[in-house]
Amino acid sequence: METMLRLKGLKKNFGENAILRDISFTIEKGNVLSIIGPSGSGKSTTLRIITQLEKADDGTLEIGGRTLFRSYDGKSVYPGIKEEREIGLMTGLVFQSFNLFPHFTVLRNITEAQRAVLRRGKDEAEYKAMELLKKMGLEDKAKSYPYQLSGGQQQRVSIARALALDPAILFFDEPTSALDPELTREILKVIRSLAEERMTMAVVTHEMNFARAISDYAIFMDGGVIVEEGKPDELFLNPQMQRTRDFIASFDEA
Amino acid sequence: MQGLILQMLEGTIVSLKVFFLTLLFSLPLGFVVAKGKMTRIKPIRWLTDFYIQIMRGTPLILQLIFFYFAPFYLFGVSYDRFTACIVAFVVNYSAYFAEIYRSGLQSIDRGQHEAAKVLGFSKAYTFFVIILPQVIKRILPALGNEVITLVKDTALAQTIGVAELFRVAQTASSREFSTVPIFVAGVFYFIMNYIVSRLFTLAEKKLGYYR
Ligand SMILES: Nc1ncnc2c1ncn2[C@@H]1O[C@H](COP(=O)(O)OP(=O)(O)O)[C@@H](O)[C@H]1O
Ligand SMILES: [Mg+2]
Repeated sequence: METMLRLKGLKKNFGENAILRDISFTIEKGNVLSIIGPSGSGKSTTLRIITQLEKADDGTLEIGGRTLFRSYDGKSVYPGIKEEREIGLMTGLVFQSFNLFPHFTVLRNITEAQRAVLRRGKDEAEYKAMELLKKMGLEDKAKSYPYQLSGGQQQRVSIARALALDPAILFFDEPTSALDPELTREILKVIRSLAEERMTMAVVTHEMNFARAISDYAIFMDGGVIVEEGKPDELFLNPQMQRTRDFIASFDEA
Repeated sequence: MQGLILQMLEGTIVSLKVFFLTLLFSLPLGFVVAKGKMTRIKPIRWLTDFYIQIMRGTPLILQLIFFYFAPFYLFGVSYDRFTACIVAFVVNYSAYFAEIYRSGLQSIDRGQHEAAKVLGFSKAYTFFVIILPQVIKRILPALGNEVITLVKDTALAQTIGVAELFRVAQTASSREFSTVPIFVAGVFYFIMNYIVSRLFTLAEKKLGYYR
């Protein structure tokens, strides 16, 4: 099996606070990793470091065989802007709050980066965008503006926007936390179909049943460390650590 | 009467020159100042903040006098009063525009920058294509107010002897023992501001296609 992402010994401080203490995991190509854990445990920060919205303080990260940062002398060393940008093109991120560009139509939200970043031609970019919109069941919304869409539709557009750049690995940071249950199902269906197509993904989510169903591997984070990890059936149905049990139980009640 | 109107049109042209030259320089310079106020480099931020405080905390009329006379008293050089007037207006209005830009820039959700970064847009592209259009839409009302104030503020240029519309009107008024020229000037200012506010309403409508 080919490894798509290998993270080792990631550390991150914000000021005096050690937010990530020692995070390591790997994601195989075509697999889905789910990350669960209470609020403030460092899940977002981990994704934000991998997608280069934050810098790591220590640790090593390889994506698709290339090194974004390497631990050297207790610090993480980055390879320089050009390499960082190219590695960045291999990763995509879907946000909890969608973050669509409000002044662009749905179509332009999906074509803009294809054209400006990947230098694709207009026809190619629009063709790709329409294909993705069809897949999302939104082909009739191409000319709409984000404010005219429901939250679930906006999130599907933002997934299409990320997929349009053909990332090697796609990250989701609580993609349904801003949505009500019905719209949540919409989005989970989309992510599930991507998993069936063997898209490599890592998903931070509070949807326990969903995480168990779609992922190949699962991680429970708390206080900046991985408390427990394993096959989803083991982690969700038979957790070994008390903290994991308490956390998962708190969702069963809800 | 015809002579008067002609004189007043000449004054209007001077006022319009002050108006447009001020906008030409202070609209872009305001961005530089706003960036200065938002930088992480503390000395630059303090300096910019001090400058904005001074500009907002003292009368424009005083600043006009300062910029006209200070070079003479400090270095013994004097320069053209019209240039001095433009310098004073630009320095003053850049500070006000900077505050408007800053509030606009800060009102844009951080997620917009983050989405742009993750999609791989360059910094310049992100600013000009993603952020700036949204900022402009948000600050348009505040900008409109400021520009209308500028139309009226041009009357202060007479303080250092620039023969703009209001000065021409006052001179004519005392020469002819009549307040009519003053009121005519009032009508001129009103027309200019009517045009300005119509233009801003139009721009707001044009950018009203999204929320
Ligand atoms: N930019 C930042 N500056 C300071 N503290 C931060 C910053 N971002 C996150 N944190 C802190 O790091 C911790 C982990 O945050 P986060 O990664 O968002 O957790 P999670 O996504 O698991 O809820 C929290 O305590 C949060 O307050
Ligand atoms: Mg989070």
